[in-house]
Amino acid sequence: MATVTEQNVGQVTQIIGSTFDAEFPEDKLPEIYNALKIDTEVKGVPVKVTGEVQQHLGGGRVRCVALGSTDGMVRGMDVLDTGAPLSVPVGKETLGRVFNLLGDPVDGRGPVETDESWPIHRHAPPLEELSSKTEIFETGIKVVDLLTPFVRGGKAGLFGGAGLGKTVILTELIARIASAHGGYSVFAGVGERTREGNDLWLEMQETKIGQSDRSVIEQTCMVFGQMNEPPGARLRVALSALTMAEWFRDTTGTDTLLFIDNIFRFSQAGSEVSALLGRMPSAVGYQPTLGTELGELQERITSTKRGAITSVQAVYVPADDPTDPAPATAFAHLDAFIYLERSISEKGIYPAIDPLASSSRVLDPQYVGDRHYAVARQVQQILQRYRELQDIIAILGVDELSEDDKQVVHRARRIERFLSQPFLVAEAFLGKPGKITPLEETIQSFEELCSGKWDHLPEAAFMYVGGVEEAAAQAKQMAEEA
Amino acid sequence: MANARAIVKRLKAVKNVRKITRTMELIATARFKKAMDRATEAAAYTRKIAEIVSDLSGAALSFSHPLLEPRETQQKCAVLVLTSNRGLCGGYNGGVLRRAIPRIKQLRDEGRDVTLEVSGKRGLAFLKFQGEAMDQEFTHFEDKPTFDDVDELASRYIEAYIAGDLDRLDVAYTRFESSSKQSATIETLLPIGSLGDDEPGGDEGLEAAQGSSVDYEFLPSAGEILEEIVPASFKARLFKSFLDAAVSEQIFRMVAMKGATENAGEMIDTLSMQYNRARQAQITSELSEIIGGAAALE
Repeated sequence: MATVTEQNVGQVTQIIGSTFDAEFPEDKLPEIYNALKIDTEVKGVPVKVTGEVQQHLGGGRVRCVALGSTDGMVRGMDVLDTGAPLSVPVGKETLGRVFNLLGDPVDGRGPVETDESWPIHRHAPPLEELSSKTEIFETGIKVVDLLTPFVRGGKAGLFGGAGLGKTVILTELIARIASAHGGYSVFAGVGERTREGNDLWLEMQETKIGQSDRSVIEQTCMVFGQMNEPPGARLRVALSALTMAEWFRDTTGTDTLLFIDNIFRFSQAGSEVSALLGRMPSAVGYQPTLGTELGELQERITSTKRGAITSVQAVYVPADDPTDPAPATAFAHLDAFIYLERSISEKGIYPAIDPLASSSRVLDPQYVGDRHYAVARQVQQILQRYRELQDIIAILGVDELSEDDKQVVHRARRIERFLSQPFLVAEAFLGKPGKITPLEETIQSFEELCSGKWDHLPEAAFMYVGGVEEAAAQAKQMAEEA
Repeated sequence: MANARAIVKRLKAVKNVRKITRTMELIATARFKKAMDRATEAAAYTRKIAEIVSDLSGAALSFSHPLLEPRETQQKCAVLVLTSNRGLCGGYNGGVLRRAIPRIKQLRDEGRDVTLEVSGKRGLAFLKFQGEAMDQEFTHFEDKPTFDDVDELASRYIEAYIAGDLDRLDVAYTRFESSSKQSATIETLLPIGSLGDDEPGGDEGLEAAQGSSVDYEFLPSAGEILEEIVPASFKARLFKSFLDAAVSEQIFRMVAMKGATENAGEMIDTLSMQYNRARQAQITSELSEIIGGAAALE
C-alpha cells in the first residue's frame, strides 16, 4: 500500500476468527466504529477486508470485527483507518439493485453512482421528531387483519420456529403490500439462505405494481448478508439496509417499507462476535449487550414527521421457545406480534398463525372500532375455550362435554380452519389463486361464524378460502363431487 | 424453559383424572354384572309373555283388547326418551338422542301432537338446550329401576290410551343385545299390535309360537285373560326397556372409562417426557452459563 503516506496506517497484530487486533501510533488511534481497510495481496491472492473498531485495548491496539472473511490475513499487514464509520450509498440510484453490507452492488450490473453516502451508525430520531399517528395497515390476510392489525409506520414481527413459514409470510406480505404500495421498499436479508434471497429477487422482478407494467423491484433496494457471511457481516447488514431506508424516509418523505429476514440472526451474530471480543456471556449464552444492540437498531426503525418506515421483521424462535432472550427482547419493540405455532402447521393450516398468542397494540376499540374489536375478542374467546377443553376431549371424548361446550368446539374447529388463507406466492403449491379479503368482509365473515350462521357447513369447506361465502361455495362443490 | 412448573401441574391434574376414571371403570363393571342379571331375567319373562299375547291375538278370537287395536289416526303421540342421570358414559346419551330427535321431528312434520317425556338429567339438559319443551321429566330412575316405578308410569299410559288421550307411544332407549353389542333404538310400544314389527326378540317369539301352535283352553274366558295379560305384557316391555337402558349405560360407562384411562395414561407419558426434556434443558443451559461465565472471567 504505497499510496497511503498521508493516511493513518497500522499493523495487524492478532487475528482470532472473525475479529482481529491492529496496532496504531498512540496518538492516532481510530475511533470506535471507525472502518478499517485492508487491501493487499498475499502470494498473488488479493485480500480485501473491512473491519470495524469495537474496543480500545491500550498500548495503541484496537480490536476490530471483520465485516468480511479473514481468510488470508496475516500478522503485520497494513491496516488503513478510513477515519469514519462504514458508509453505504443512498439515493434513488439504489432502487432495483442488490447490495452487500458494504454498499457494493452484487447483482453484476456495474457500480452504483450516488451523490451521497451515509454512515451506517446513526442516532435514532429525537423524541420531538417522532410521528404519533396511528392508522391501520390493511394486508388482505384475514387472520392478520382481524387479530393482529398492522400499524402504518409501525413495526410488525413474525415469530416462529424452524420451517413454520416465516419467510413465506414475509414474501407474501411483500407481494401484497409492495404491489399495492406507491412508496419505496428496502429488503434486508440477514443471515438467511442465499437461495431464498435469489428466489425473492426473481419474484420481485415478476411482481407488478398495481395495474402498471413496472415491476416491484424498480421501487425496491435489497441488501444481503446471508448465512455464508462471517458474523460481522450479519451483524451490520441490517444497519446498512436501514440506513438506505432512512434516506428514503428523510429525503423523499414517502412511506417506506422495510422488510427484515431475519432479525434473530442479527442477535445471533452479535453473540458470536461478543464471545470473540471476550465479553462475558449472559443468559443462555447471549451477549450481555443484547438489549442495547437490538435497541439501537430498532429505535431507528421508526416513523418521523417527515416520513414513515413501516417494517415487517421475521424473528426465528430457537427450539420453539419464545422465552429465549433473543425473541423476547425483539418482542418489546413491536407494534404487532404474530406468533407462528407448530401445532397449527401440523394440522396443515397455513398461515400457521397462533390466534391466541399473537397480538397487536392497535387491537383496541379506540383504533379499530367497537365492532372489529368485539368480533376479534369473540373469536379469541371461542378458541381459548376450545383450547381449555382440549385436555378433556383428549381423555374423555367430545361426548362428555356440556351442550354449550360442544357448540363452542363445533364453531372453534370451523374458525380454526377459516383462519387459513390461500397465498399469492403459494399458488403453485395449493393450486388455488391467492385471495385478498377486504377487512370489512373479514369482520362480517367472522361475526357470522361466531353467531352460528355457518354451523351447518362441513369443516373442510372452511379450508383455504377468502370470505365465508366462498366457504359455502366450496361446501356445495364438495357435496357435488362426493 | 420456564414451563417445567406448568407441565408438573398439568401432569398432576391428568394423574388425578386417571385415578377417577379408573375407579369409575371398576364401579361400572360391578354395577354392570348386577344390572345384566336383572335384564336377562326380565328378558326371558318378557319374551314368554309376548309369545302368549301374539298366540292369543293370532288365535282368531272374536273379541279384542283396546291396547291391541291400532287407531286410524294416531294424532296424540308420546315419545319417551330414556337417558342417564350421570355423564361419563361416552356416546350413550348421544346415541339415544340422535335416534329420538329425528322421530320427534318426523311426527311433528306429519302434523301430530307430540308430548315429550324424558328420563335422565343428561337428556333433559340436551333437550332444554335444543329449546324443546318437555311435558314430563323423570330423574328418579337410577341404575336399578324398580318395577313399582315403571308400573306407575305404565299404568298412566294404559289409562290414557284407553281413554283416548294417547294414540301412540314411542320409546327411545339403548337396547342391550349382548355384553358386546348395544344399540340405540326407537320402538313403538303402543298400540301393542305393532310390537312384533320392530323387535327381533318378538319375531322369535312369534315363530316359536307358530312352530308349536298350541291350542289353548281359556278359563274362565279368553276375554278375562286378555284383560289381564295384555297390560302385563306392555308393562313388561316397558320395564325391559328401562332395564336394558340401565345395563347399557353401565357397559357404555365401562368402555368409555377404560378408553379415558388409557388416554390419560398416554397423556401422562407425553407430559412426563416433555417435563424431563424441559428439566434437562434447564440444567444444560444453567451449566453452560456457569461454565461460560467462568471461562470468560479467566
